[in-house]
Amino acid sequence: MEEQMAKIDLSNISHTYNPLDPKPTYALNPFSMTWENGKRYAILGPSGCGKTTMLNIVSGLVRPSKGEILFDETPVTDLKTEDRNIAQVFQFPVIYNTMTVYDNLAFPLRCREFTKEKIEERVKAVSDTLNLSSFLNSPARKLTADQKQLISLGRGLVREDVAAVLMDEPLTVIDPDLKFRLRRNLKEINEQYKTTLVYVTHDQNEAMTFAENIIVMDQGEIVQVGLPKDLFEKPKTTFVGYFIGSPAMNIFHSTVSSDHEVKINDTTIKTNSNLGNLKDKNVKLGIRSEFIELAEKERSNTVKIKLTRVEDFGNFKLLTGKMGDLVIKSKVEREKPIPDGELNLYFPPEKCCVYSDEKLV
Amino acid sequence: MSKLYTFLKYFFITFWTVFVVAPFLWAVSTSFKDFQSVNSKVTYIPWLDFEPTLEGWRVLIKSPAKGGVDIVEPYFNSIFVTCTASLISIVLGTLAAYALSRFTFKAGFVRNNDITFFFISQRIMPPIVLSIPFFIFLSTIGLLDSLLGLVVVYIVLLMPIAVWIMVDFFNRVPKELDETALIDGCNPYQAFYKVVLPNSIPGLIVAGMFCIIFGWIDFFFAFILTFTEVQLLPVKVVALNSSITPWWSLSASALVSVAPLIIVAFIVERYLSKGNLSGALK
Repeated sequence: MEEQMAKIDLSNISHTYNPLDPKPTYALNPFSMTWENGKRYAILGPSGCGKTTMLNIVSGLVRPSKGEILFDETPVTDLKTEDRNIAQVFQFPVIYNTMTVYDNLAFPLRCREFTKEKIEERVKAVSDTLNLSSFLNSPARKLTADQKQLISLGRGLVREDVAAVLMDEPLTVIDPDLKFRLRRNLKEINEQYKTTLVYVTHDQNEAMTFAENIIVMDQGEIVQVGLPKDLFEKPKTTFVGYFIGSPAMNIFHSTVSSDHEVKINDTTIKTNSNLGNLKDKNVKLGIRSEFIELAEKERSNTVKIKLTRVEDFGNFKLLTGKMGDLVIKSKVEREKPIPDGELNLYFPPEKCCVYSDEKLV
Repeated sequence: MSKLYTFLKYFFITFWTVFVVAPFLWAVSTSFKDFQSVNSKVTYIPWLDFEPTLEGWRVLIKSPAKGGVDIVEPYFNSIFVTCTASLISIVLGTLAAYALSRFTFKAGFVRNNDITFFFISQRIMPPIVLSIPFFIFLSTIGLLDSLLGLVVVYIVLLMPIAVWIMVDFFNRVPKELDETALIDGCNPYQAFYKVVLPNSIPGLIVAGMFCIIFGWIDFFFAFILTFTEVQLLPVKVVALNSSITPWWSLSASALVSVAPLIIVAFIVERYLSKGNLSGALK
């Protein structure tokens, strides 16, 4: 088999859909990134943040306004989609209505003039993986929505030599049970064939469980690239803090009081950040509700709150409390007794993130 | 309440059916009558009310020398002109519609929608406005009173219909379908004829039906642009009339004129009633 999988370099890419405008609005602000061969990436961000544009640039459906794309150091920016050897799966199932399931799966191979034996072998392998074997001879239009999406997925996976398989929220129409299984299947395929998989989603759980690397985007900007753990523990911007995790990160307006300390209302909180040159500036303090601990009594780095609500989620309890007009959420173990009324919460310094201008210090 | 509704429903369906079918039955009955049975008193049922005769039908295939009005040649002329013009209109119209649906055109203030409207605007004009330019145009290129000239004019008349229907149809075929075909390795032409076109068969059939209907029933241009060499069916049928109106042969010719459209309607009907004219995306 020909090895064609590639390292994909996006170099200084930016894109606008109205280039002739005197003041064009950018769907993608300039960025550079490398997708290593055989890895799993997730692009995560709210709707309209430029995720799909990025995929379309890689597959060649959209030509970037500026910048260059390289597959294994070879520039492909001017190469047409059909010559790029990329597979892309869209949000809604796209199938060839007039063909059978078999012909649908075989289509990408036929277009590239594979031998009949090879086509048969690949279609069989893919249809086995995706549980489509028993439908191979039925007309594709007769299948249910999630089966149709499996066909779309199958057409992406049927070529072994693709540079990458790009998936644009491919599991939206698929029911949760199957979703879970498919995500595992995709992982297995990635591990077995070393196919680079890029997965666009707005669902953080999907991104966290699927990818080795997560790319968080907001308003055409790449805000953070990293492992799920990094995104969770050290969000680089307040946006990532809000966007990742459930509930969102607690973020409070505060003032820097010394090299390592900030003040929320009148309470001083010690952090591990170096705040030397931000003295007396207004900053934001962020901490995950998972990292806030219940404290027996008032001590350093505790805040006193008035408990307003306790929600039992089964595996944990979510406390909501107020300090002045600030709302604080904290996740605690289910068994822990919750005192009524006022209680003290401890902020571990190493878990406190300080944001100046929405960016991590 | 629901009983009343059912009653009204069936009542109106029955009423409408009678309204539509009665003229046909009347024409069928009349086509077998002779002068006596039409003009003496109202008669309905053959053999009971009057003695049927095939004279009305025979006239249609007899040559004028033998006192007939031979409509066989005009009939085939009409079939040729309608089918050729429809086919060319569909092919050109589909290509134009695909381009208008998928690519963005800009020329000054003109955009895709303006171009589509320009096509349809050809049909908004009253035909009489077009008749003189067409006449002069055809006589200049020497195609007056010829089948080819009629085909040219009919393409002008039918292509807007094809473009209009197909633009709407292609707009409802998701562009992801083309994109998927490109990603799967087709070039843009292959994506069109291997993937988009097979998905558009219902649209093509509907567009084809409209072209055939409008081509087949046109009297005005066929009347103005032909004289003696070539005649189309509608013109010939009108020419049947004389000082004594031959109701029997007029009825017979009306029936044979409508027959092809009825056949077309039966073929097309199941595509129309399917309702899922949209594309692959659900």
